[in-house]
Amino acid sequence: MMCSGMVSPDLILRALSKGADGVLVIGCHLGECHYLEGNYNAAKRVAVLKKLLAFAGVDPARLRVEWLSSAEAPTFVRVTSEFSEQIKALGPSPLKEVA
Amino acid sequence: MVEKVKARVQELLASGKVKGFIGLRELHGHIGPYLFTDGGDLDGFVIGDRKAAGDTRYPLNTQLIMISRQYPEETLGVLVRGCDERGLKTLFNTNQLKPEKVVSVGIACPQELADVCECMKPFPEEFVAGEASEARPFGSVERIESIEIGERLKVWLGEFAKCIKCYGCRNICPMCYCPECTLEAKDFQAVGSIASENPIFHLTRALHMAGRCIDCGLCSEACPADIPLRTLYKKIADIVDLEFQYRPGYQDSKGKMSPNVLGEAAKH
Repeated sequence: MMCSGMVSPDLILRALSKGADGVLVIGCHLGECHYLEGNYNAAKRVAVLKKLLAFAGVDPARLRVEWLSSAEAPTFVRVTSEFSEQIKALGPSPLKEVA
Repeated sequence: MVEKVKARVQELLASGKVKGFIGLRELHGHIGPYLFTDGGDLDGFVIGDRKAAGDTRYPLNTQLIMISRQYPEETLGVLVRGCDERGLKTLFNTNQLKPEKVVSVGIACPQELADVCECMKPFPEEFVAGEASEARPFGSVERIESIEIGERLKVWLGEFAKCIKCYGCRNICPMCYCPECTLEAKDFQAVGSIASENPIFHLTRALHMAGRCIDCGLCSEACPADIPLRTLYKKIADIVDLEFQYRPGYQDSKGKMSPNVLGEAAKH
């Protein structure tokens, strides 16, 4: 994706229903968007979707948003490893059984 | 009640303030949307009470959008209840209608209808007939939230499994005005197959109701499978209100909404 603002929440839902156990949305730091407000849009959408997931019965921890620049490799590694561990602990997504 | 509304519509049409009025007409025992253009001929004009108050509602704003797009220069009138007015305000804010080209004639819903609808605001800001009834709380969101999160999914999957993918919820929705719909886009949904993808078909639609749903309840009325759609959309409205302090249609009608539709980004 060119921009976290292009990550439609519809796609996140689709990923979760097609077998992803978690979705990590990584965008540029807030205030550093090349398109000015793309990452703010992403932040809003993820915030709403997390709450909707909780209401629907899916652990909102399966969705996470982080802000990282391409110059932060160690942070990227830490964030993705952390998220991966967290998702492993949660186990397979309950949506998998449906699909 | 209907006579007061008729008198107002007659006056609007006779004075030329509106070119046409979108209301309801009873014809051959059926009630449906109708464009009245002659103040002297309001035969069959009704406000949608057949057996009970407001049991025949239609998304008249949808007809209004359709006709306005054909006749952009004309001013049109429309019959509104509290929910329809919330819809109008939201449609003005999203540039689907021009406020200066719309004259609404409001009716307040009687208490029996407000009770049935569990309506938060069963009257428009101005109305020519009826009396402002008391708002009623909508309890079904809390009922879902009282269920443990792991069990909630089972409840919803069971509800969504009843879906026959008729698109009735979308088609009746007065706030669904997009020329292209994500529910028919193959990148997002399985198209051309039944049943709907469970649960993403309905969760996607719920997401798209964020900042739009004005809680008219027509979706739940239209659903042949009795899926509690309104509960889902009510929750989305609650989420948007909590995150962005915005609830569609409840703002001051004169205040144009901020261009940053859903307010500042949520804090994380």
